[in-house]
Amino acid sequence: MIYFFDGSKAAFLTAFLLAYRDEDALLTTGSHQLTLGQKSVFVRADAQKAARCEQRLLQFDEHCMRDLDLLLRSGEEMRGQTAFLYFRMIAARKRPVRGELAENAVADASECIRRVKLEAHRLKGFVRFMECASGALYAPLSPDNDVCDLLLPHFCARLPHIPFVLHDVRRAKAAVWDGAHSFLAPLGEAEIVLAADETAWQSLWRQYYASVNIPSRERIRQMKGYMPVRYWKFMPEDPSAAIGDLPFAARNASDAAAQDGAPHPRGSLQSPPAPRRP
Amino acid sequence: MFDFVRPPWYTESMIAQETLRILTESAKYDVSCSSSGSGRRNEGGIGNGMPDGCCHSFTPDGRCVSLLKILMSNDCVFDCKYCMSRRSVDVPRASATPEEICELTVDFYKRNYIEGLFLSSAVHISPDHTMEQLVRTVKLLRTRYCFHGYVHLKGIPKADPLLVSEAARYADRMSYNMELPSEKSLKLLAPQKDKESLLLPMRQLRRERDVFRAEKRKGAFLPAGQTTQMIVGASPEHDGQILRLTESLYRVTGLKRVYYSSYTPVVEDALLPAVQSAALREHRLYQADWLLRFYGFDVEELVPEEEDLPLDVDPKCAWALRNLHLFPVEVNRAPLEMLLRVPGIGGRSAQKILSARRYTALTFEHLKKMRVVLKRARHFITANGKFYGEKNTLAVRGLLAAGEREDAGARQLSLFDTPAALSAHTGEL
Ligand code: SF4
Repeated sequence: MIYFFDGSKAAFLTAFLLAYRDEDALLTTGSHQLTLGQKSVFVRADAQKAARCEQRLLQFDEHCMRDLDLLLRSGEEMRGQTAFLYFRMIAARKRPVRGELAENAVADASECIRRVKLEAHRLKGFVRFMECASGALYAPLSPDNDVCDLLLPHFCARLPHIPFVLHDVRRAKAAVWDGAHSFLAPLGEAEIVLAADETAWQSLWRQYYASVNIPSRERIRQMKGYMPVRYWKFMPEDPSAAIGDLPFAARNASDAAAQDGAPHPRGSLQSPPAPRRP
Repeated sequence: MFDFVRPPWYTESMIAQETLRILTESAKYDVSCSSSGSGRRNEGGIGNGMPDGCCHSFTPDGRCVSLLKILMSNDCVFDCKYCMSRRSVDVPRASATPEEICELTVDFYKRNYIEGLFLSSAVHISPDHTMEQLVRTVKLLRTRYCFHGYVHLKGIPKADPLLVSEAARYADRMSYNMELPSEKSLKLLAPQKDKESLLLPMRQLRRERDVFRAEKRKGAFLPAGQTTQMIVGASPEHDGQILRLTESLYRVTGLKRVYYSSYTPVVEDALLPAVQSAALREHRLYQADWLLRFYGFDVEELVPEEEDLPLDVDPKCAWALRNLHLFPVEVNRAPLEMLLRVPGIGGRSAQKILSARRYTALTFEHLKKMRVVLKRARHFITANGKFYGEKNTLAVRGLLAAGEREDAGARQLSLFDTPAALSAHTGEL
């Protein structure tokens, strides 16, 4: 049986209860192609069932919900199933299984979690803010995994007095710090008015980036390994131009990344979205 | 919707593009790029430290951009032969004001371009004058601009010890660059510097830091410690000598890191080689340095004093090939220290093995699944009694060297263990 769920934690836990004893269960959030005769069900979140399931799992492993949160943030197609197999093992063994890396289910889940964390870590460095006329900072990003609110504590701690918006343009949502509160909000298109000297700072940064490179030691493979091409498009230093201008399409590693365009820094940051606590 | 008013003291002194170019082009050969080691907290204002460090960009030469590396001035009264800012060459000269540096730092920082500032300078007018300017800038940055991000300050040799102490109260890290691995080369190539002018302030800072900590005084005193840098290939010293100096620096001055920089000819001089020294040699030194710091190796085990590290295989492989009687080791039983000595097994893999083997007897299949890279390691381990490597030493060396060639270019990527170790200069293996 295939169990479709919406990717939320509550729906996952509800589906988990249903699927736990089903040997051929497949949990998925995507558009899975059904083969002839295959049965499927769409599982809606049931708050009570989910809470019961969570309680039970926490008895076996008190840290397992942290893992689930990270697994469900993954952009991988198979994240539902990866999480399912991992949690089924916790439930079967009635104890934490995190260290048992020789097991497929654990190895896959830990790899999936590692990727989500790695992206969040990388973005702490690769995010680029632009300054708006109001003094607020705005950064568009297009991460593979749903991590934009994971970055909030990091930036709140270092920019406590400056409001900022981390805009996940792929998922049309934003993590916002208004100087006093942080929250997640849906945000489709953002129109922003840049501060008068923003372009001048960007061009100083481009100058700096060009000056510190040592052309006689070119190592582009290494550069791309550390800073994957899919992160380049929101960087004012424009690394692709620095290595001889690739066509824009080639800068996008995945199709999804190719879809979302860079927002146009013009106009004004319209109607602040209604606050919704994450 | 937001109203963030610029602080009243903000003077809007944006540095000129050309000044920035001159002052950063001459600073780029300082290879130290790390922004790690400081957990400085935000106390109102902007910025904080990130103890693991953070890379913000990478340039086409594969190096990480973490700090704004800039000189206050490139107008030097010294005449070091290898340097493009030396007195006797005719190049455009520029200097920046403390305000220009501070504003550049804060504006780059808040846009998340950088993790902080690496401020250095040529010896402008005199060592004391230069050091004064540096200290003034960092103090201004910390107090008036309320900047709590990372600051690495380069020490100027022969400056007043009082200025050195004051600098340490505001910077996260300081460095005096040895540049050349022996007194003799220093005399020849950097006539105004000598070993003592570099070692004295290093020892002074270590002493004062110890006192500061022992007395649990308020504030900070170089939370990220000291580092130094050596140019490799400009002078005739062997890797064996360089690594012995490194080891003694770690011991005597408590340095956090020694950086190595392949010599790149930027000026012509009869005393200097005309060709760039091999990047691979620099890489081998980083690997050996990593073995000294983290894997419990002793310099005597790695290379004799009058020799260089082999280029065809990495220093850990070379050591293992000389000590084949210790291998193969059984991954299910070997202690951590021994696992770390297996070529191809790094810190992260060793930890994974320790964790997983508590539950089951590990086989090669398991290791693969756990993403332990076996290309090199398989010649040196057994898994559950099975050996899949090559027994003949010569053949092993050939295979290891061939593997190295395949990896060239992406050299460090296969060894990439933790995101924090992103620097091209770590040498982890
Ligand atoms: S002191 Fe020597 S190395 Fe430093 S800037 Fe002057 S000439 Fe160059």
